[in-house]
Amino acid sequence: MARTFKEVLSEAGISMDFEAGGKAPAALTDREIQREPHERVKYLKERYMEALSSINNEFPYWYTREYMRNDLELPVVRRALALKAAFSHLTPAIYPQELLTMRKGPFVRGSFAMPWLTNSFFLAQGDALYQAAMKSGSASAGEHSKFGAGGGNVTQSFGNVVSVAGKFGVRQEEVGILVKLAHMWQDKSVEQISNRYERMVPGYDIKEQVMRSLVCMFDSGFTLPQGREVINYYYPLEYGFDGIVRMCEEKMAECAGDAGGDGMVGTNRLYNYYAVKLVIEGVQKWIENYAAEARRLSGVTPDKQQSAEYAAMADRLQHIAHHQPRTFIEALQMVETLHIAVVNEDAISGMSVGRLGQVLYPWFEQDIAAGRITEDEVLELLEQDRILKTSIDPFASTGVVGGVLSGNSFNTLSVGGVNRRGESAVNRLEYLILEAGVRNAMPQSTIALHYDERLPEDFLLLAMDVIKSGAGYPAFMNNDVAEQFFMQHYACENITLEEARAWSIGGCLESQPGVWKTIHLNGKSYEVPGGACQPTSVGIHFLAMPKILELTLFNGVDQRTKAQVYPPHNRKLESYEEVWDQFKLYWQLSCKVLELCNNLQHDIWRKNNMAVFNSMLKPGCLDSGHLINELGYRFNATYNVESCGTVTWVNSMAALKKLVFEEKQFTLDEVREAMSKNFGFKTAHEVNSFSISDQQKREDDDGRFNRLHFALLQAPKYGNDDKAADEVLLEWENWFCDDCANYQSLYAKPMYACQISVSTHGAQGSATCATPDGRLAGTTYADASMSAYPGTDRNGPFALLSSATVWDHSMSQNSQMNVKIHPTAIRGPEGSKKLLDLIRAYMRKGGFHIQFNVVDTKVLRDAQAHPENYRDLMVRVAGFTQYWVEIGKSVQDELIARTEYEGF
Amino acid sequence: MTQLTFRDTRDYVAIDVDKGIDHRTGKLVHADAEAPEGYERLAKCKFCKHYQAEDASNGCCTAAAPAFAAYGDMIAITCEDFTAVH
Repeated sequence: MARTFKEVLSEAGISMDFEAGGKAPAALTDREIQREPHERVKYLKERYMEALSSINNEFPYWYTREYMRNDLELPVVRRALALKAAFSHLTPAIYPQELLTMRKGPFVRGSFAMPWLTNSFFLAQGDALYQAAMKSGSASAGEHSKFGAGGGNVTQSFGNVVSVAGKFGVRQEEVGILVKLAHMWQDKSVEQISNRYERMVPGYDIKEQVMRSLVCMFDSGFTLPQGREVINYYYPLEYGFDGIVRMCEEKMAECAGDAGGDGMVGTNRLYNYYAVKLVIEGVQKWIENYAAEARRLSGVTPDKQQSAEYAAMADRLQHIAHHQPRTFIEALQMVETLHIAVVNEDAISGMSVGRLGQVLYPWFEQDIAAGRITEDEVLELLEQDRILKTSIDPFASTGVVGGVLSGNSFNTLSVGGVNRRGESAVNRLEYLILEAGVRNAMPQSTIALHYDERLPEDFLLLAMDVIKSGAGYPAFMNNDVAEQFFMQHYACENITLEEARAWSIGGCLESQPGVWKTIHLNGKSYEVPGGACQPTSVGIHFLAMPKILELTLFNGVDQRTKAQVYPPHNRKLESYEEVWDQFKLYWQLSCKVLELCNNLQHDIWRKNNMAVFNSMLKPGCLDSGHLINELGYRFNATYNVESCGTVTWVNSMAALKKLVFEEKQFTLDEVREAMSKNFGFKTAHEVNSFSISDQQKREDDDGRFNRLHFALLQAPKYGNDDKAADEVLLEWENWFCDDCANYQSLYAKPMYACQISVSTHGAQGSATCATPDGRLAGTTYADASMSAYPGTDRNGPFALLSSATVWDHSMSQNSQMNVKIHPTAIRGPEGSKKLLDLIRAYMRKGGFHIQFNVVDTKVLRDAQAHPENYRDLMVRVAGFTQYWVEIGKSVQDELIARTEYEGF
Repeated sequence: MTQLTFRDTRDYVAIDVDKGIDHRTGKLVHADAEAPEGYERLAKCKFCKHYQAEDASNGCCTAAAPAFAAYGDMIAITCEDFTAVH
């Protein structure tokens, strides 16, 4: 039996514990806080748990049919007509016992492809899918794969179901049209058109190499052109759809033929308002189809209570199809509908709901005061809202949905923060939102708590209960740091402090400023915050810092594929400064070519596939008559540069600095040779584990790399309040955050730093050879951007927080810190206070984000071995919560290995 | 007339591509299982007079000129042109 990494270290007398602050109890320990949802919600949740991710072709069929019919129409009107046809023809699916309804497709977890964005997968896989479809149908339903394995993922074809990309199931009867639709978009999709133009960018060959080597994780222009942004529900909630249609008609009359002082796009306002009107008509029809189905069900359902509930649902839907909601449940239904409409309009991940408790407060307050609803009934609705949000399955390419998103949709809900005047914005409804998050713990909506010193103590302590339930939320975000960032970055768009205070999280932890709008309800006025920004899922995506360091040390050659990714630098790298300088040059080379190529992708997107419905929602498109593609949003400077593997890189640079360049214990050639030989270990792929602790020595290893490897492992590490490592982080952050402004989006705005990893630390780690910090080939990078590498944070959590705050977090859109804590470490009321003190300490030091996995590592190991017993186990990864069984093994392994705090 | 499967009836709502709920009984049923007699046939392209089949799953819709590709299994309860064949 090969010796594991842990055994090798132990034999050498080196401590690299994956526990800190004590010893975990021997027995499996469950989470302390556990509460049950309402019976109705339990029933609906069971339906969710047994549902497979499913796709069909209704939406793409009607969209394509109408689009192809109108080839002489203006692009924005052509798209609007296609969207109207698609929405109008969606089949309603209403389930027994639900009070809130409407969904992406006619399944619990329905979704669909958008071949007008990307069709290469279906063009390439067409034959294989056809073959799978031909084979299916002969198998019996008994061959159905177990629900537990992979949760709702359809990892293999079975019965009459064909697996698409290992994630979605499609009926074999629909495979033919699926592929046929993809062919109809041949040479017309955003992917294919933009690729033709990308090739005209100087250095395009480097871009190709950068993508193949996984220096960069994905293109966004045709995979997820929108998302990681905050929605705005205001206009339909204030005016109703009929009111907006009237507004559009009035504006059309005003704008027809009038340039309005803008000789470039002034006259476009007519077409834009017309397009908005068309799409709203499609959405109204969609809602009315649901209303008709609810009415039909009411008529055929023998159970009187169920029949009455369907009738009431039909009444609500019919009303909100045209008018401002009258009650809390209508307002919540309206919000569900708007949300799904937006994520059906485009391929989107991270369409976040924003500060929902503050947006819906007017209806909550008035219904409670009038006795129309009780808090318990509100709680039941909020619990059901979590099922609907978790049921949203984004459909994009395999690499994006699996490798980046882990199937997550990031519909983050923000609570807390301050109001326009800077006072605590917490209200009673937000307490219920937190409570619903415990009672019905599901991945969506992930909750972000905007921490401010002015928030009520009992609200923060309730948040501790939610964290202790193991839900992985709420994440704590620093209100002051976010506001400082907005005031600096959005100065180019004349942001005000009031707009900075209206911020929310879009996606994992992509902060965005907002605007305040006034809701009028029954003679009373309420100011509500809402999103007003373009997406932040755009720009330069997830540059793998350790991979670029590998390429720096090996003259631009990928050690996995042996491809020449960058032009050879031919430098001797005789000093730390020279390594650092070359790293920066390669980094900038990547950023430049990706900036240009991504700008082209998004430019093609905005010309043919612009957001119409989402634009209508965002201030101030309805005011100006310009949609997203014509800078209609209040804030447009949202493109960013995303990094990945920060801490693995920091540790690597710190080790090189000390051992190679300062103390000269080893030469750079010796380090390079050891890296290329993986320090005598097998690769992670050979071992089939991506955790550092599980790696195995090669049987033929002669131990010649041991001394070097042990020295690298014991070199200064981030997370210990050790200047030698922390200064490397500081130097990086100061350079990186400034450098981002050198890149410009297609909207001619400067970019900024975004420091989250989502799931890319698994995929990109998998493609990176061993690193100078002692990490082994193929293993996952350190999570997020401020989390310590597993087993290396040895001085307790407060030392980790000190390391993380050596730099000014307000220079960046975000930073990301996840900590794993054993449930016993924070047990009881005292444990809650200790946890809150820890969070406060980080926020006061200027940390932006912190979140916790409250879980026993032994439970995770057991869940990996027996996933069928853990269908509802949730964990926090980077900036999101996900079901354990639906995340990839590389990320699971990192979570298991991550240092577990037993006490502090 | 051949027996309908659940997924070809109006009394069935799909949970996913493989199973759903029988609205009449509230029970979880397999999509391809035979529905009891008397269940209402669902409007689908394959039951529409405008649908011309080309193979077991695919065909075209002739409701509007020019004819456009279609597939027999598509639910058509929201289609204005659906005309049932008996």
